[in-house]
Amino acid sequence: MSDSPLLQIADLWVTYRQRSLLGLGGTSFHAVKGANLTIRSGETLGLVGESGSGKSSLANTVLGLVPASSGCIKFDNVDLASLGSRYPLPVRKQIQAVFQDPYSSLNPSMTVEDIVTEPLRVHTRMSKVERRARAIELLRLVSLQEEHLNRHPHQFSGGQRQRIAIASALALQPKLIVLDEPVSALDVSTRNQIINLLYERRDQFGIAYLLIAHDLALVHHISDRIAVMYLGHIVEEGPSDRVYKSPAHPYTRALLDAVPLLDPARQRARRAQRKLSPAQETQRVAETGCPYKNRCPLVMPRCQTETPPAYPVDGGGVANCFLYASDQVRQSEQRERKAL
Amino acid sequence: MTIPASENSRTVLIRLPKPSASGMITAVAVFILLLLGFMAIFADVISPYDPLRQNLINALQGPSAEHWLGTDDLGRDVLSRLIYGCRIAVIASAEATTIAVLLGVPIGLFIGYRGGWWDWVVMRIVEAIVSVPGIMVAIVIIAILGTGLHRAMIALGILFSTSFLRLARGVVLAEREEVYVRSARVIGTSDRRILLRHILPNIAPPLIVQVTLTVGAVLLSEAGLSFIGLGVQPPDASWGTMLNTAAAFMQLAWFLSIPPGVAIILTVLSVNLLGDVLRDSIGRGIAGDAPQPASAVRVNLPAATAAPEPTAVSRPDDVLRIEGLDVALGGDTGVPIITDLSFGIARGETLGLVGESGSGKTMTGLAILGLMGPALRATKGSIVLNGKDLTSMRQNEIEKVRGNAVAMVFQDPTTSLNPAFTVGSQIAELLRTRKGLSSKDAWKRTVELIDRVGIPRAAERAKAYPHELSGGMAQRIAIARALSCNPSLLIADEPTTALDVTVQQEILDLFRDLQEEYGMAILFVTHDLAVAADICDRIAVMYAGEMVEMAEVNALFAKPRHPYTRGLLHAMPHASDREPPLPTIRGSVPRPGNWPQGCRFSNRCDYKTSACETRIPLVGTSRRVRCIRADELNLGRRP
Repeated sequence: MSDSPLLQIADLWVTYRQRSLLGLGGTSFHAVKGANLTIRSGETLGLVGESGSGKSSLANTVLGLVPASSGCIKFDNVDLASLGSRYPLPVRKQIQAVFQDPYSSLNPSMTVEDIVTEPLRVHTRMSKVERRARAIELLRLVSLQEEHLNRHPHQFSGGQRQRIAIASALALQPKLIVLDEPVSALDVSTRNQIINLLYERRDQFGIAYLLIAHDLALVHHISDRIAVMYLGHIVEEGPSDRVYKSPAHPYTRALLDAVPLLDPARQRARRAQRKLSPAQETQRVAETGCPYKNRCPLVMPRCQTETPPAYPVDGGGVANCFLYASDQVRQSEQRERKAL
Repeated sequence: MTIPASENSRTVLIRLPKPSASGMITAVAVFILLLLGFMAIFADVISPYDPLRQNLINALQGPSAEHWLGTDDLGRDVLSRLIYGCRIAVIASAEATTIAVLLGVPIGLFIGYRGGWWDWVVMRIVEAIVSVPGIMVAIVIIAILGTGLHRAMIALGILFSTSFLRLARGVVLAEREEVYVRSARVIGTSDRRILLRHILPNIAPPLIVQVTLTVGAVLLSEAGLSFIGLGVQPPDASWGTMLNTAAAFMQLAWFLSIPPGVAIILTVLSVNLLGDVLRDSIGRGIAGDAPQPASAVRVNLPAATAAPEPTAVSRPDDVLRIEGLDVALGGDTGVPIITDLSFGIARGETLGLVGESGSGKTMTGLAILGLMGPALRATKGSIVLNGKDLTSMRQNEIEKVRGNAVAMVFQDPTTSLNPAFTVGSQIAELLRTRKGLSSKDAWKRTVELIDRVGIPRAAERAKAYPHELSGGMAQRIAIARALSCNPSLLIADEPTTALDVTVQQEILDLFRDLQEEYGMAILFVTHDLAVAADICDRIAVMYAGEMVEMAEVNALFAKPRHPYTRGLLHAMPHASDREPPLPTIRGSVPRPGNWPQGCRFSNRCDYKTSACETRIPLVGTSRRVRCIRADELNLGRRP
């Protein structure tokens, strides 16, 4: 891990426009609103959020699949945001991806060899023999064998398919791999196998990961830093252990508390503390103020009108929450939170 | 998050044997087409007469020894003309179809992938062409190009290219959103390569069908054009010109129209049939999901070898009681999916059915409802609900039980509700048909139910369509619908898996709250042990079609007794707080048909001994485990 940033995202906005019937006017929807993120080389950043948080839009923008509407994505001193979806090949070579659904992310009509060597065919002038040798090497890296080369994706289980996708992503030895929910479609027992595999290969090749997931607990095992997104905003960012063990933003806390504990007795106790709450209304995204103000138990008058900027948090990282606006306020708020 | 739960049903599709009748038909179709090709190539050699040689003395004769199919108005031999007509048919269909494919497919691929203005302009032109009757378009093109076979075929090629264009475009529009196309774009694959190398092979099956349909259509159109004198010019022999002649002499010699007519019908039918077969054989590799089960390791049904297993204590307040249930794919000798499953659920109790995909947990829920699909059957055992055995019931009796005594909540709320109706009307309909309420009362009760499941502004929300609701709201509606007939058993199949964690928590609270109020038994199917810990009173862990452990919830989490249960617990993301390597269970869940002999977990178990190679019974009463070493192993929660 070095200190020079590999990927630097500054004030990134991603906007989808929906044209009305006649092509005039129409509405626009901001999926990402002014995100700031940094990934150093060899580092793993976990990006956590619920559906609709904009985490996948952010990932797709980094991958050049969705154009940025404004802001800057600096990768290796190249501004990707200005390139649209036409990344030059040398850039493409450095950023690879593994997607969520292992059932649709592999082309059903191609063999494993075709899938794994496709990046080599696009980016190198290797001969067929060389490519095959490299494919065997890559399959070994993901604990598959040479005999799997000529099979089609439908002959593999979900976990094995995800291994094939990882082998393909490793083929060019990229500097960054975007992992979009890489294990959420897998069974519990295969999930950890894939996490372990990703962890080992990262250390072996010094790759940086942008790991998108909805499960904070899972992400924290493998991430150096974690960022939490809510309705297009990054609301908290910091070292993995700090975010997981002492979350600063009320939303991060809610996210962690919502995961049932594996201990029935403790879970019962926790459940008793919260009363049955009515369903949350699907809120129209607030134009002003804190994005979490409508659900936040600690909401303050200030949150209604001002959007909180990033404030530093003890233990490292930042939280976009007025609770951390100044020491005095913070201490009084922390007392209040303990009382709750 | 989605769990690939449909694997079993996909396997069903590919394992069904093909009826042999279709094989016969295929053979006949291939034979006819081979005969057609043979006659086209060797027309000079095999035809008994020169097709153009006239013999006016013998005109309009019926079949005879010299002329098997008779003669036409100029005394020409009909059989010879028919054989020469094959040549025209083959040339014509090949020519027009090739032009149609070469013109339509690339343009369709391009505009489908690119979209935008290209797509708009081309599609408007295509729409203009197809809005005019096809024969008119052909006539206009022929008017420009002039008459004659090849010109007519160019005209037909252009005409039929529109259907290839629209087909290719339509399929590409769907395929370009597939994740594998996104993957290819991330790799940096060029658009041209994505279209030709990645997308084209996947759209081949519908294209092949379209080709065969087009060949048939071209044959008919050629006959039609020749019939009206715009295609093959007399005196050349084609099936169309022969029909033309026959029409003129219908009164004198009706038999003339039979040979070309039959030839056209047989050829078109054969080509279409062959297209279907080709499509099916190509599609099979893609559609099939599971590797074929290796017959050598097929599990024998345990009944003969297993020791008689103690049945669990039957409790008097059981709403549902399943006893020794076996489910197999394809009848008694088929692949077992569930074996020897017994459990009961009492009123007001929640039983968790926990396991990974392929464990049979979802199938258990469907078996209770009688919704397993045609290929699956309960081959043994009983499912007793409120004292009545469902396995002995007829279909219409089960349908009465379903929705009245048992209701189900599915994983994906947005697809389990009908998108065409308002959510309120879907609940009200049930209340009217099942409970016999009047429309007004049904609606009133619907609004009450929607309010009861915690949806604010219930009266207003009842008029919403499913797509207008968030996932959590839609799941609440699905729960309200399940509750509408006051079921004694509610089966919930991964009801929170598709939802965000904060919403999951709300839905779990809702289940618990409703159970307190209505007192129904809940069978809660989930892959997530933490969710099971939150909601269940007892938990049954399933692995490879059988129950491996069942215990009261606290006991199970405090001290799992089966190595698989322990492995699952350790693998939960919250269970450990360390850097990788995270604890894993080696290997993966075997598919039905590939289960090991004896203990089905033995090939992944760290505690395996030679004793594990025989069938292991499920032992115990309130706490049950299927592991021969359960007593000696001390499987704590932490390693």
